[in-house]
Amino acid sequence: MALGQLGFFMRYLPTAPAEDRALLDAIGVARAEDLLTGVPDHLKLHRPLDLPPTSSELEVLREMQRLAELNTRFRTRFLGAGAYAHFLPSAIDHQISRQEWFTAYTPYQPEISQGTLQHIFEYQTLICDLTGLDVTNASLYDGGTSCLEAALMAVRVQKKRNKVLVSAGLHPHYLAVMRAGFAPHAELELVEVALVKGATDPVDLATKLDDTVAAVLVGYPNFLGAIEDVQALSELAHAKGALLISVTMEAMAFGWLEGPGKVGADLACGEAMSFGNTTNFGGPFLGFLAVKDAFKRELPGRVVGQTKDLEGRTGYVLTLTAREQHIRRDKATSNICSNQGLIALRANIFLQLAGPEGLKGLAEQNVAKAQYLRERLLELPDWEVPFEAPYFNEFPLRFTGDLKAMNESLIAEGILPGLDLTPYGHTNCILWCATEINTRHQIEHLIEVLARVASVVG
Amino acid sequence: MNLRSREPLIFDRSVPGKVGLDLPKLDVPPAKDTRPAHLKRHGFDALPSCSEPEVIRHFTKMSMWNYGMDQGMYPLGSCTMKHNPRLNEKVAGLSGFAESHPMAPSTLVQGNLALIYTLQEWLKEITGLAAVTLQPSAGAAGELTGVMLIRAYHLSRGRKRRAILIPDSAHGTNPATAAMAGYEVVDVASAADGTVSFEDITDAVTGRVKKGLLAVIAEHKEDIAGLMVTNPNTLGIFEHRIDEICKCIHEVGGLVYMDGANMNALVGVARPGDFGIDVMHMNLHKTMSTPHGGGGPGAGPVLCTAALEPFLPKPIVVRDTEKVGEGEVPHHTYRWDWERPQSIGKVHSYYGNFGMLVRALTYCLSHGGDGLRTATLRAIVNANYIRHELEGVYNLPIKTASMHEVVFNDAIQAHHDVHTLDIAKRLIDYGFHPPTIYFPMVVSGALMIEPTESESKEELDAFVHAMKMIAQEAEETPDLLHQAPVTAPLRRLDETTAARKPVLRWTKALV
Repeated sequence: MALGQLGFFMRYLPTAPAEDRALLDAIGVARAEDLLTGVPDHLKLHRPLDLPPTSSELEVLREMQRLAELNTRFRTRFLGAGAYAHFLPSAIDHQISRQEWFTAYTPYQPEISQGTLQHIFEYQTLICDLTGLDVTNASLYDGGTSCLEAALMAVRVQKKRNKVLVSAGLHPHYLAVMRAGFAPHAELELVEVALVKGATDPVDLATKLDDTVAAVLVGYPNFLGAIEDVQALSELAHAKGALLISVTMEAMAFGWLEGPGKVGADLACGEAMSFGNTTNFGGPFLGFLAVKDAFKRELPGRVVGQTKDLEGRTGYVLTLTAREQHIRRDKATSNICSNQGLIALRANIFLQLAGPEGLKGLAEQNVAKAQYLRERLLELPDWEVPFEAPYFNEFPLRFTGDLKAMNESLIAEGILPGLDLTPYGHTNCILWCATEINTRHQIEHLIEVLARVASVVG
Repeated sequence: MNLRSREPLIFDRSVPGKVGLDLPKLDVPPAKDTRPAHLKRHGFDALPSCSEPEVIRHFTKMSMWNYGMDQGMYPLGSCTMKHNPRLNEKVAGLSGFAESHPMAPSTLVQGNLALIYTLQEWLKEITGLAAVTLQPSAGAAGELTGVMLIRAYHLSRGRKRRAILIPDSAHGTNPATAAMAGYEVVDVASAADGTVSFEDITDAVTGRVKKGLLAVIAEHKEDIAGLMVTNPNTLGIFEHRIDEICKCIHEVGGLVYMDGANMNALVGVARPGDFGIDVMHMNLHKTMSTPHGGGGPGAGPVLCTAALEPFLPKPIVVRDTEKVGEGEVPHHTYRWDWERPQSIGKVHSYYGNFGMLVRALTYCLSHGGDGLRTATLRAIVNANYIRHELEGVYNLPIKTASMHEVVFNDAIQAHHDVHTLDIAKRLIDYGFHPPTIYFPMVVSGALMIEPTESESKEELDAFVHAMKMIAQEAEETPDLLHQAPVTAPLRRLDETTAARKPVLRWTKALV
């Protein structure tokens, strides 16, 4: 068969050979290749791609199943650190599989995109409700990029202030994303604030706050699981004219903790994958950024607003577009266009199913399971408390035994342990996470295995 | 669409006491309240109380107000709305992938790393470039990553360069990206067909002279960090002097970034690496058909030359091959390499929109190298068929050969006071999603049509028929078009008021 001859048939291409002929005859060319007159011959590829040939659906399914099975499976997981395993209501996968949702494009034509637009309007409402702030957008990529967008926005809002303080308690990957995004801007400065007892050190913060600081970012809860006192930190920041940005990487905590906007945060950003998603190897996740009303025209990304149609009926449209790249080009608030639409839909369905009672119940179970896990771990001789701080569903404990052997034994038993914090500056600490999906039985099994390992290692 | 199908906001449905999600009875002691008192959640203002059937009906009814790819042609130019294979959705949901954890040690996620490695090899062969990162979440994130690579490359050579050249026909993300990466944007004139002009262009109306590539290079020389170019460009036209453009930029030490939004017109036909491109992104949600999801998630891998490879975001997948005896299948293991001192850092919290990468590799394996090329050619044939059938009925302002999309405008219909917006809205009444309109801006009143390879001859003919009917209506009953759409759930919406007095969320006061 000649290169890419149109007689080639595969299941996704709907044109029969005779129809191909009819199309080419109508255009008036002999071969499809004759339409490539715009591409100079010396720039064309004159050989087939060095790639395997087309495969049937069954063959591809088998190959992808083979890859999926190369990943180690766990019966029990105690790993969070920004990606949390939560209960997934069955309705979500069913609903988002409707072609009206998952195949549609960004809602540029509002008359035939009211589904997506109304959903985003509701999603915006819920993010504002959870964060206690006034305005949000249709989503950002993930927690890390939400921190970067929030910090860049703060610098725009706070004219003449070029420094951003960031708590060392942020997820180290979020910090890495911020550093990379700040690097091109020689005029901007990113300065870390130290931790004390797992939370942002108010003394170090006070020392570093001055009238060049645009904003301060703190975790709520932070990477070590500690619930930062957003109110006290925001008072420090506000006293020097700086904005307080809260960063929440476990949005389920909003079922238990006051919305950051209600306790002093001017912007709230972070990761909302916990609402209706699996851990998915880290993506697609759901970045969010909510802000006070005064800052709405500096928001990055798509925003949906309510309006009326010609006959006075309520409808929804993309709005405040004067901020965006297609209008403002190099003066835009961000370059973002595609965001995490379908993941925002998952979160919206999840939150509507959960409601206030469900979300509160979920949050309380997370706290209860984490507290039980911690208590049981501390009954073992080789676990210590590195610091005391209030936590939600995650906390670090220091292990005095052979950490590598301990990890290996758990993995062999089908248990995914918490994160080893050694590479992140907390030697021999494990960041344990328990959520509503961890049963008492799983926790007891963990303790049993650890006790056995301790007696062997010890 | 009957009256019952109108769906209120969920907040108007909420009745306290209902719940759509429940949990097992707590099997551990209840939570002790360890919160600082002032950080206790006081409740919610909007979160609704509804049962599962009500929530499902709510979303199902809203969804019925959307137009989707399975309903018919969705010819949004430059957006590449092609069929979303269901296998890809099924595979992405396999629990081995879906339940894998991004912070787990790499020994526990060998399947994911093998998948990433394999997709990278496919993209390298498709583009002819030497190195790749799959971390960027979307096209714009890919652009930003690419321009950050350019910046890091110059800095490593002790060069402080300030300017990124961008043709004025470019997509708005290009200048927005250059600014986000700390660069000054310098416009380069486009010829009438949107291709980069080497010579200056004098505007026929204003008499203003816009500098072409040669003049811009002469003016900015060693201050040029690079040039961003879309190929095929935003008019669906191949940048036929792309190799000369690369050469000119390279001569002053600059690098060339290719916006690969239209890469679906080149796969299997031509490779950017062979043109002299240094760095580019691809939109997997366009070229590799990962679903658009009503606005994402996408995936915007960045490919680059070996010279830029040291600067790629961290971490990079490395494959180690165990030596085996002759005739045996080699055994591969995969690991993350974080020790990359020249890396620009991270551009995503983890490794990108992994679920989209799963779908993209599934798409690649299904098509194979031969199927990918055929898909490209079919997309080009379909676009040219539409061009052929509609030329003369609609004005074709630029006659240069079209690749995968074609741009008409409203010059003929404007005589009857019918404009691009009216034509687009009337297409809704005929059961089609409108094309991209008023973009690119180098064509006044643009109607940018991209059918993709997913459309059958029957569907193309139905679209052509609808467009011809609309042209006839423009002559005979233009007011019908001004009123359009009339069959959609809503008529035209007031976007001015929406922006002037923004209502961006529901509040109790709104009721």
